[in-house]
Amino acid sequence: MQNIIFGLVTGSILALGAVGFSMIRQTEGFLNIAHGQYLTLGAFMGIVFMQDVGMNVFLAGVLTAITIGLIGVVLARVIFDPVRKQGALVLLFTSVGLAYAIYGLAMAIFGTGVKLYSVDFGASFDVGSASMTVGEAVIIALSLVTVLGLWLFLTFTPLGTWVRAVATNPQLARVRGVRIQLVSSTVWFMSAGLAGLSGMLLGVMGSASIELGWHNILVILSVAVLGGVGRIYGVVAAGLLLGLVMSLSGQVIEIKYQTTVAFAVLVLVLIFRPEGLFAVQRRREQTA
Amino acid sequence: MSGVIPYAVSVFTLIGFYAIVAMLLNLQAGWGGLWDLGLGGLLGAGAYFFVLATATSEAGENLIFTPGWPMWLAILGGAVFTALVAFLIGLPALRLRGEYFLIVTFAFAEMMRQLVVNEPNLANGTVGFTELQRPLAGSFAPNDYKYFLLGLIAVLVVLTYLLMRRIGHSPYGRMLRAMRDNEALALALGKRVTRRRTQLRVFSGFLFGLAAPLYIWHIRAIVPAMYGPDITFTTWTVLVVGGIGAVAGGVVGALVLVGITEALLFIPVSTEHVDLLGGSKPFLLGLALIVMLRLRPDGVVTERWTFRKDRGPVAEGVKKRIQTVVGT
Repeated sequence: MQNIIFGLVTGSILALGAVGFSMIRQTEGFLNIAHGQYLTLGAFMGIVFMQDVGMNVFLAGVLTAITIGLIGVVLARVIFDPVRKQGALVLLFTSVGLAYAIYGLAMAIFGTGVKLYSVDFGASFDVGSASMTVGEAVIIALSLVTVLGLWLFLTFTPLGTWVRAVATNPQLARVRGVRIQLVSSTVWFMSAGLAGLSGMLLGVMGSASIELGWHNILVILSVAVLGGVGRIYGVVAAGLLLGLVMSLSGQVIEIKYQTTVAFAVLVLVLIFRPEGLFAVQRRREQTA
Repeated sequence: MSGVIPYAVSVFTLIGFYAIVAMLLNLQAGWGGLWDLGLGGLLGAGAYFFVLATATSEAGENLIFTPGWPMWLAILGGAVFTALVAFLIGLPALRLRGEYFLIVTFAFAEMMRQLVVNEPNLANGTVGFTELQRPLAGSFAPNDYKYFLLGLIAVLVVLTYLLMRRIGHSPYGRMLRAMRDNEALALALGKRVTRRRTQLRVFSGFLFGLAAPLYIWHIRAIVPAMYGPDITFTTWTVLVVGGIGAVAGGVVGALVLVGITEALLFIPVSTEHVDLLGGSKPFLLGLALIVMLRLRPDGVVTERWTFRKDRGPVAEGVKKRIQTVVGT
């Protein structure tokens, strides 16, 4: 039972990190390896806001998401837009370069040490046979609210409809007068912002170090592929599922193999259901 | 000034190693089109096999596999083992295209690394080994061995270059590039694409395994952390900067990139700036990759230039015939 709760908390954070990654894959058409580094930046920004500026954890979270979101938009304009015409693999390796550049900068600014958040998780209460802290409940609730908000945005707002249009068929969207640039900025802002938030939560739950991004990029990749790229609730479900699988696998095999389990799941899904667990349609590139 | 020469020797040894590995990567990824992000895992497999195969039970009583083979057998065994690993990873991975191939190879490399970390009985876990056997170590004074290693690596760079040039201009090399550029056409011309790709993967795996011990002879230690994403992405950056698809790409890229980043470490700094300096290496690496992909995405030496003479009248004739047959 305790494992289920821990799995849900981890899964919620993973889902937050992976939703943005998956959106970029869908609208911009490439795997952004630098996404993991946005998590690192988020984890350190949170610490800066909380400990150096002295904000409370909620305000720091909001500001971290906004800051990293804006950084994401700027980087997209400066780094990715100029090479967009050269195809997905050039974009992918540009993102590898960006990941290294951010990693190097983070090391120079924040150092290689491990930093801890001083956050009070509040009193713990009983859920069935296990206990849960207020902080953990907040994290789960936060990710649910975020996902709900994202879903509302994509389904009911004009801008959200544009985003879905670009994701489905960029050429058609352009012809129909969708403002591609605006859509792109919006998606980058949300993607990087959620990554920043996810990174900060990872820092709160554990610790912040510059290796955070590299450690999590493969897990995020797994979640995104598992959920079927481009399906928000698929990715969220996959995040929760993978969190649970990783947490519960501790019952069957040793706990140190948690991330190995995540990668094994990834490989199995790619082999047997490359369209993702929750996707209805096969992905276009599989048939193309 | 006495520190300059050993330092330069060390830098050039590293440049030579990356040049060799990048040229091998070019065979698999540049010409073969197999975008392997699990390169670190393959190098690790070869290096670890070498260390364990040469180890005797003195290296650690808990270790499962310490046959104490002679060095030549261990090097060969490491190459065969790496080829086997490459083949096994290729079984699922080769069924997938483009970026999915890359994700699966990446994931396998990480799983292998975690296996070594988590099972100390396999290869001493995170502690690794510092007592390594090196060829002809007895013939040199301990301090002079690095000159021998540099010479060895220099010879191997030349040999690799000649081999790759031979392969690149051969019908086999042309077939690889044809499969990469137009798989449907290669199939139509009767090439067994899947079988050829598996062969290529096994062959590259074998060569990676052969090259792998060079790195640990230079570093003089082996730990799992050496084979993380770092070595993979550095090699990729070297190849992309130098010129993917060009025979000389790996050599040029290694000279430019490793030369610059390693020379930085030579700047003496006070201890409080050590993170600043440590961060500058990945930063420059990343910046070089971004700038290069934007300004000269084909690299310093391009594939087009490398094979300029192969596009003779015969090749043009063949192209015309294909065009009339295929109709594009």
